[in-house]
Amino acid sequence: MPSVDYGTAEEVTRTLEKRLVERLQSDVTATRRSVLGGIGVAGSAALGVGRSEASSGGHDDHDGHGGHGVVGEFEDADFDPHEYLTAFNTGRDGQENVRQDVYEEDGRTVREFELTAVDVPITIAPGIEFDAWAFNGQVPGPTLRVVEGDLIRVKFSNGSRHAHTIHPHLRNLDPTMDGVPQNGPGAIAPGESFTYEWIAQPTGMHFYHCHSMPLKEHIHRGLYGTIIVDPEPDRVRENPRDYVNYHGPITDEYRDELVEIARSRNHEYAENDDVNEMVMMMNGFDTNFDGDNEVYAANTQAFAYGVGSTDGKGNWEAGETKRPIQIDRNQLQRVYLSNVIEFDPINSFHTHSQFFDYYDHGTTLQPTLKNVDTIMQCQAQRGILEIDYSEHEPGLYMFHAHQSEFAELGWMSFFEVV
Amino acid sequence: MTDQNPTKSTEGGIAADEQPRQPFGLPSWVVAVLPLVLLALVIGAFVLTSPLAGVQSGEPLPDLTISHTTLPSEDTIVLHVTNNGPDAVTISQVLINDAYWNFEVEGASGDQTLAPMESAQVVVPYHWQPGWDIHTALVVSDGTTFGHTIVAPSETPGLTTDVLWSLALIGVFVGVIPVALGMLWFPFIRAMSNRWLHAVLTFAAGVLAFLAVDAGFEAFELAEEIPGAYEGTALVVLGILGALLLVQSVSAWREGRAAAGDTRASSGLWVAYLVALGIGLHNLAEGLAIGSSFALGRVSLGAFLVIGFMLHNVTEGPAVVAPVARDERPSWYHFVALGLIAGAPVILGGWIGGLAYSPTLGAFFLAIGVGAILQVNWEIAGMIRTQGGRVGSATNLLAFLVGLGVMYITDLFVAL
Repeated sequence: MPSVDYGTAEEVTRTLEKRLVERLQSDVTATRRSVLGGIGVAGSAALGVGRSEASSGGHDDHDGHGGHGVVGEFEDADFDPHEYLTAFNTGRDGQENVRQDVYEEDGRTVREFELTAVDVPITIAPGIEFDAWAFNGQVPGPTLRVVEGDLIRVKFSNGSRHAHTIHPHLRNLDPTMDGVPQNGPGAIAPGESFTYEWIAQPTGMHFYHCHSMPLKEHIHRGLYGTIIVDPEPDRVRENPRDYVNYHGPITDEYRDELVEIARSRNHEYAENDDVNEMVMMMNGFDTNFDGDNEVYAANTQAFAYGVGSTDGKGNWEAGETKRPIQIDRNQLQRVYLSNVIEFDPINSFHTHSQFFDYYDHGTTLQPTLKNVDTIMQCQAQRGILEIDYSEHEPGLYMFHAHQSEFAELGWMSFFEVV
Repeated sequence: MTDQNPTKSTEGGIAADEQPRQPFGLPSWVVAVLPLVLLALVIGAFVLTSPLAGVQSGEPLPDLTISHTTLPSEDTIVLHVTNNGPDAVTISQVLINDAYWNFEVEGASGDQTLAPMESAQVVVPYHWQPGWDIHTALVVSDGTTFGHTIVAPSETPGLTTDVLWSLALIGVFVGVIPVALGMLWFPFIRAMSNRWLHAVLTFAAGVLAFLAVDAGFEAFELAEEIPGAYEGTALVVLGILGALLLVQSVSAWREGRAAAGDTRASSGLWVAYLVALGIGLHNLAEGLAIGSSFALGRVSLGAFLVIGFMLHNVTEGPAVVAPVARDERPSWYHFVALGLIAGAPVILGGWIGGLAYSPTLGAFFLAIGVGAILQVNWEIAGMIRTQGGRVGSATNLLAFLVGLGVMYITDLFVAL
């Protein structure tokens, strides 16, 4: 005997349903003018003049649904997100606007960079300028690429109207170099400068950002960039356990394998040239100060890695500035990904028709997640993705944040596999 | 102040030989133009030297108004936009339900930039769902957003002859027929004593007063949707006072004619036409609201509402004919004309509202209606007085109250 009388239950459900419907209907308040509109309908109904259901040209007509995405092209000559993708500043070479050097000092390799904070308008969507605070005038700031154990020397000058710092996401043993207002040199006032020195450790995918107050604004305005610490193969050979979350026996073969991976990750080794490496910082911009982002992107410009236009049937065109990232299917793709979003707790990365290996924070040489198509990162989380398209047909493969809202507000992109 | 020179006339101007000499013997037209020339010089100097530069700070903020939207088909959204600010504004992107969407700006001289006080339409190809709110926002070049929510969207009917015809038919049912029916009380009103006739007239004044209050509030409500550059509230006030003063000046001119012995000008028929005009202007605004609701796709339903409106408007009939109750019965064509002036504007308003709706136009027409109605009440009071009645008698005051009350009750049928 069931404990519920199904007839009664059905009745109760129907009553509740009806009550809900009635409540929702009464919520639609009728203004006098909306009521006046009713007369129009009453009149037209009397005449048999109704709204034409067939006037829209059918639901399967693609063009009828309109195209999403931003209209127009980017006109910011100072920053190109396509160049930024692969612009690594190693001390030896890098971007023209980053003065840098590499030299030996007390038996240690020093990689020196000059970063200057400036207030500058940047283009975040076609026709939309955002008053950014930026390292060397670009958002994200220049990517610094070093090798584990190096000394990173950053000569910081403040050319902004506000006081700023540089706080590194590294294992930094010296509190005065932490880049917070409460310690060391504190916030660097406008017109002043300071030289930060950090030991590059641990290996991995890290970043730097301004830590002045109010924190939200100083980060959201654009004062952040990537630091990549490449693994040093000799250290890997000596201390393999530091680089894996693995507790079994370390055989010579395993040790060799890890060293090989370290060489592939280290920009100073030829093995690294076989891999196509890209930097993506997932960011967003609140243009109307309501605590919610109007523009989302990977590397600042909304839809910059999207197609220019498409009919949705495989016929597409690249725009002048909005175009897919062209990749060689025979090359392994490695994405250094970080999340510097403000006003949203998490962001994500999703590949269409593809699965990848993920190294959380990039501090290990073995993936922390294998064979996934979506990862999420909270604010300041980062990691390395390794993607293999060798078996895919050439063509467009989408990737984007799988918060649909972020995707539709700019964080949507394509790889063009060739 | 005492009159120093009692021999000088203050009426009818000053004799030519006493005209004071202009300073330095200048011709009088030079003296008239001189202040304007000096003003131009001062303004020029102000612009060139910008003496306020020291106290000015910041830049004027961009200011756009999305006054209204139309939905011509299920795959198009049209936002009607006006630039209120002192600087040009560029519409860089458009958000529909928090997603960037394709769009085109029409009517802004070919680009996406609106000059101050310029209006344009932003046309968005978007396949929307009837009944599901659409949140739209314009993102201008500095990232400022201007939002507008389209509540329970439904398609805006295009202006086909079918629509024009159905708006006309609605106008006939809502405006012409009730007024005509109300006018059928004429023989009954004619047979009344002065006391009761005056009661009917004050009843009509009550009806009109209610309409004025109702339309007045609506005009101010609508004024809030008017783009700031057009000063909506001031426009409504101007509309009310303007219509009042215009109709009153015509009336005063008529009184002057009547005083000079023009019998036609002194007849009650004149007042009847004024009443019809006032009601007609009110009904024009009513038709405008119907047409604009149509244009905006604001649809709720009920033949019941048409009945409510007929009840509401039938009281306008006796108001129109009461002023001629004491005169010789006017020719039939006067009745037709009075009925058409009072009722037919619903049709006209419906067409205007359907063709070219804007809150600015809507509020302005409502305001004109209010002004005209207020003047008509003034006129009715004067008429009662000239017939030897007392406007503030108990019967008249109660009749006025009944007029207000009846309108309130019939209004409920419409507002339910």
